[in-house]
Amino acid sequence: MDVVDQLGAVREGKLSRRKFTKGLLSAGVALATVPYAPRKAMAAGEQATYFTWGGYDVPELFQPYQAKNGALPDFATFGGSEEALTKMRGGFVVDVSHPCNQAMPRWVATDLFQPIDTSRLENWPDVIPSLVALEGNEAPDGKVWMSPFDWGQTSVTYRTDLFELEGEESWDMLWDPRYANQLGSLASGGDAWWVGAIKAGVDFADIATDEAFEKIAAVMREQRPLIRTYTDDTTNLQQALASGEMVAAMTWNDSATTLKAEGVPVEFASPKEGALTWVCGVMIHKEAPNLDRAYDVIDSLLSTESGQFLIDDYGYGHSNIKSFDTVSPERLTELGLSKNPDDVLSAGHFQVPQTQEWETKMNSMFEEIKAGF
Amino acid sequence: MADTSISQEQSQTRSARPKTVRDRIASKLYKSESLRGYLLMSPTLLILTIGIIIPFFILVMISLWTRDGFAFDTTLTLANYFEAAERPIYGALMQRSFWISGLATFFTVLLCYPMAYYVAFHVHRNKMMWIILMTLPFWTSYLLRVFAWKVILGYEGVINSGFMSLGWIEAPMEFLLYSQTAVVITLAHAWAAFAILPLYVSLEKIDKSLLEAATDLGDGPVARFFRITLPLSMPGVIAASFLIFIPTTGDYITPALVGGPDAMMIGNLVQKQFGPINNWPMGATLSIALVAWISAIGLVFLWLTRKAQEKLT
Repeated sequence: MDVVDQLGAVREGKLSRRKFTKGLLSAGVALATVPYAPRKAMAAGEQATYFTWGGYDVPELFQPYQAKNGALPDFATFGGSEEALTKMRGGFVVDVSHPCNQAMPRWVATDLFQPIDTSRLENWPDVIPSLVALEGNEAPDGKVWMSPFDWGQTSVTYRTDLFELEGEESWDMLWDPRYANQLGSLASGGDAWWVGAIKAGVDFADIATDEAFEKIAAVMREQRPLIRTYTDDTTNLQQALASGEMVAAMTWNDSATTLKAEGVPVEFASPKEGALTWVCGVMIHKEAPNLDRAYDVIDSLLSTESGQFLIDDYGYGHSNIKSFDTVSPERLTELGLSKNPDDVLSAGHFQVPQTQEWETKMNSMFEEIKAGF
Repeated sequence: MADTSISQEQSQTRSARPKTVRDRIASKLYKSESLRGYLLMSPTLLILTIGIIIPFFILVMISLWTRDGFAFDTTLTLANYFEAAERPIYGALMQRSFWISGLATFFTVLLCYPMAYYVAFHVHRNKMMWIILMTLPFWTSYLLRVFAWKVILGYEGVINSGFMSLGWIEAPMEFLLYSQTAVVITLAHAWAAFAILPLYVSLEKIDKSLLEAATDLGDGPVARFFRITLPLSMPGVIAASFLIFIPTTGDYITPALVGGPDAMMIGNLVQKQFGPINNWPMGATLSIALVAWISAIGLVFLWLTRKAQEKLT
C-alpha cells in the first residue's frame, strides 16, 4: 500500500474504509510487531481460520479436516452476516466465511473474496446442483463464489405445553398479546425483518419499496413490546424456551431439534403463511493465508460425516446428496427435510438478494425499532 | 542562595573547558524546572499521545466525514452532529444512559460508603487485608461478573428459585432480568471496588480529634457525621462518583447481556453503528457527543458540590 496513494485518496475526498483502517493498522501494528518478525515465518504451519455463525464451530463438522491436518481449524464467530462483512471490510482476514444466499452477491461485490475452484473439492460431484445455481453465484471460468453447505428455515419454535394454539400454526404466534414478554426473537434484521415482511404480507419482490418499508416497520413496532429479548445468541433462546421463560421464539431449525433431543416439548412450526427459507454456504477470502487448508475446510463441511451431524443433530438440510442416505427416511420426514431441497425451500419464502443501500437502511431502521422508536 | 552559589561554581569550572553539546543539554535541564518535569513525564506523555490523543483526533476526523456506501465521503461536514441532535433516538438513548448510570453511581456510593467507613474507623489491625478482601470479587473478569448476575437474576436463577422454594412467590419474577433494574444492579456491583478505594482513602485521612471536639461541644453521632465526617469525605465521594459514572455511561456489555430491549444504552448503539448499521462516522459522532455530555455533567456536578461545601463551612 502506497502512502502517497492514500494521501491522494484523502485529497480527492474518497478513501475506502478498508484502506483507511489498513493504513491505521499498518502504522500502529508495524512498530509493535517488528520484534516478532522472525517468529511469523515459523507460524506457517497454522490452521485455516473459519469465520462462521455461532454453533458451527464444533468438532463434529471437521472430522475429515482434523484427520488430514491434525487439528481443528481456528474459529471466529459472528451473530449476523452483516456484522461479519463489516468486520472483514475493516481488515479482518480469514480463510473461509459463511454467508447466506441473500447476502452473497453483496459479499462478492466487495471484492474481498475469490472464486472457488470446484475441481479441488473431492466432495463437489455430490453437491446438489440446484443449491449451486443461486442468483449471483456464477464466477468466471466455471468457478463458483459460494459453495452451498446448509439450508433450512427460520420459523417459530414453541412450547407445545405452554403455548395454547388457536387454529393453525402461524407467524401470528409471535405477535400474540396473550404471551407478552414471553416471546423471543432473533436480533439480526437478516432474519427478523424478512419475517416481518411475511407477516405484513409483503411479497419479497417488493421488499425494497418505501411502502414495504413502512408496512414492515409497522408490524415490527407492533411486536416490539411483546418481545422479552432480541438476541443473536441462539443458546439464549433455547435456554429460555427450555425453562419456560419464553413460550415461543423465532429460531432456525437447530434450536427446535436440539431442544427436542433434550426432551423439551417443543415444535418447529410450519406457519400457514410459509416459513422463511435460505441457503447458506462458504466463501474463500481473497487474501486467505492458508488457501490449501481453506479448501480442506470446505471439503470437510461438504463431507457426509458432517452432513449426517448437520441433519440429525441440528435439523438443517445439507448440500451433499449422499448425506441424506445416512439418515433414515422417517427421521427426514420428522425433521421436515427432503432429499430435494426445492420441496422445502420453495414451500416457504426464499430470501432474495438486496442492495447494500437496502441492507443499511433496513438495519438502521430495525435497530431504532428494537430500541423503542 | 546556597544553590545559586554552587551552580555558579560549577559553571565556572565548566567554562574552563569548551562546552560540548552534552553540557549544554545538561545545563538547560538544570536551569529549567518545567523541562525536567516534562522529561520525567515523557513515557506517560508518549503513551497518552499515541493511545489517547491521536485516536481522539482520528475519531473527531471520522465524525466530520459521512458514510458513502462502504467507503467514506471525506468532505468535512457537521451533518452527523445535526442528525444526532435531531433524531429522537440518539437523545433518548443518551438520556437513558445517564439515568441508568446515574442510578448505578448513586447506589454504588451509597452501598460502599458504610464498608469504607467501617474499615477506616473501626478496623485497627490488618486494614490492608480488609481492603484486599473487599476487592477480592473484583479479581474475576468483568464479563464473568456480568454473566454471574445473569445467573442470579435469571428466570430460573438463584433469587427466583430461592424465593419460590421458600413459598414467597408463586411464579418467577420476570422483571429481574432483561430490565433497567438488572443493569443498575449489575453495574452497582461490578464497579463497587472503584468506589470503596477512594472512599476509604478520604475517610482514613480525617483527623479523629475533630470528631472528639465535636462530641465535646455537644454533637450527637448523627450530627457529628453530617457536620464533620461527610463534608470531609466529600473528595472521596466525588472521586468515586466520577470513577463510576464516566465509564458506566458508555458501558456496552452489561446492557447487552442483562438489559433486554428496554435498557439499550448509547454504547450499544455506538457498537451497532460500527457493526450492522455500518455507519462509522455516526458512531464516531455519538462517541464524541457522549464525551462532551459527560464533561458537561461532570462540571455541573463539581460546581454543585463546591456550592454545597461552601454552604456547609
